[in-house]
Amino acid sequence: MSRACSATALYGRRPDAAVRIENRPPAEGINSSTDNPLKELAWLLGGSLAAVIALVFAVSLAAQWIAPRTPYKYEARLAASLPPIATAPDTDQGRAVQRELQALADRLAARMQLPAGMQVRVGYSDSKTVNAFATLGGQTVFFRGLLVRLGSEDELAMVMAHEMAHLQHRHASAALGRGVAVGVILSVVSAELGRSAAAGVLSQAGLATTLSFTRDQERAADEAALAVLAREYGHLGGATDLFRTMANLPGAGSAAPQVELLRTHPLTRKRLLAIEEWARRNDVPLDGARRPLPSAIAALQGT
Amino acid sequence: MAELIQLGIFLALLTVGYFAGSMVERRHYASIRKREREYRDVLAFMVRFPFDRTTPQRAFLVHGTVVVGADYFKTFVAGLRNLFGGRFRSYETLMERARREALLRLKAEARRKGSKMVVCVRFETTTIASGWAPAMEVFAYGTALVPDDGSLSLPEPRKGVSRLLGDGLVRPPA
Amino acid sequence: MIVSNLELIPGRRVIAHYGIVQGSTVRAKHVGKDIFASLKNIVGGELKSYTELMQEARDEAVERMIAEAQSMGANAVLNVRFATTSIAVGAAEILAYGSAVRLEDQ
Repeated sequence: MSRACSATALYGRRPDAAVRIENRPPAEGINSSTDNPLKELAWLLGGSLAAVIALVFAVSLAAQWIAPRTPYKYEARLAASLPPIATAPDTDQGRAVQRELQALADRLAARMQLPAGMQVRVGYSDSKTVNAFATLGGQTVFFRGLLVRLGSEDELAMVMAHEMAHLQHRHASAALGRGVAVGVILSVVSAELGRSAAAGVLSQAGLATTLSFTRDQERAADEAALAVLAREYGHLGGATDLFRTMANLPGAGSAAPQVELLRTHPLTRKRLLAIEEWARRNDVPLDGARRPLPSAIAALQGT
Repeated sequence: MAELIQLGIFLALLTVGYFAGSMVERRHYASIRKREREYRDVLAFMVRFPFDRTTPQRAFLVHGTVVVGADYFKTFVAGLRNLFGGRFRSYETLMERARREALLRLKAEARRKGSKMVVCVRFETTTIASGWAPAMEVFAYGTALVPDDGSLSLPEPRKGVSRLLGDGLVRPPA
Repeated sequence: MIVSNLELIPGRRVIAHYGIVQGSTVRAKHVGKDIFASLKNIVGGELKSYTELMQEARDEAVERMIAEAQSMGANAVLNVRFATTSIAVGAAEILAYGSAVRLEDQ
């Protein structure tokens, strides 16, 4: 060892006799914390849930605003690359029903301002499901279970106009954009948290907020459908008929409706009041002569 | 339904983690405080050279090591804390426990060798596993000094205890 | 409070040794800075938010070490060493430890 850093050089020949050598215990609580961990959890959980919900809300609003404003041709191209949904069963009856539905759709399309390049394609499914929906690429599908419960062409037209209003407002694109944006946010959050359980909890919270927008979209579709009905038939009888039919469906008014249509389109007094309010504002009668259902569709009710 | 079961399992793990974890922590701290009182006579310092440089002594490398894991509750809170930033209070307490335990084990090994003075103590911390079951190791090592008056008889080394390194003689400067 | 990684301060004499003092802290930066840092990794260079994180953690650890020394009645911490571990991505534990001593002018 060199002389410069030897013990002798540092300390001298012998240690000072007066140096006190002991171990004193330090105070507790300097490097540890006695705070209740549950309080910290409450703050963190509350804060993170609020932050995730707010972020998802903001991003889905933005996506919903942007998606319908992109040109329809991109949506059409996307839909073309996916398997077609608007099909009909390979039977004479099935094809006849689909033709009548398409004819009604084309008639109503003349009363609406559909996006440039959109061709409404109606599909028919021979299933007992009581529902109808609209999706990407100008496609809608009607189920047999719903068609057999309709009493007049006006009622059918209300359903058709409602679904076509979804297409007109590009709601399917908005929902897609929202889903993608929310998915990206949640995957970023999950990646940051790794495989921790916190990722799962926050993902669930984020997904729950995406369901609340469909109510606004349904309201908008209702209003547009009423306008189409008024233009084509001169009165809103089809709308009131439809709501009466929905009220008579099994499980209507209960918290957990068995029928798909009621699950996606809530039957509330608000919707009925909205119809009456609209009729009053636009000076359209609520009642009038109903046109009969097209023959093939009416024939479904006999079978 | 599947989501409810998942949520249920998660809540159950969280509750078990919280209660069992805090009980384990309390017990460990009680044991640490008791043993710290017991080992008050074995002194540990970071100084590089022995205080008493005149009497002949034997020197041995001694160490204490412990691996601690965080319970499910601590890990979940840490996951959330990672989003916001700031101090990980529960992990700080965990690491303090681990360091005190490692130092106690070091002192225990020193006492087994008949030493009452450990100098040049150093600490090393490593993460053994991260993710949903994190584990951290604290390793404390130092040199234990035993006065060598010729009549020293050291206890037989136990299996797993470090072997003597060199002849361990420290001669005073000429 | 003198804090140094020297063993001996020139001009002062140690009159009492009180033992080992430690200060440690486990810290993380919030997720926004984590995301920005991963993006910065594309271009390379200093990740300022993580530098800040380590600096804050180190300062806090040294402060706690000093607090422990003060609680023992020491007026200096010598032989200071640092040990760092990463707990998870973006979270680090810093340990600062040293000898608590009582110094006197020579």
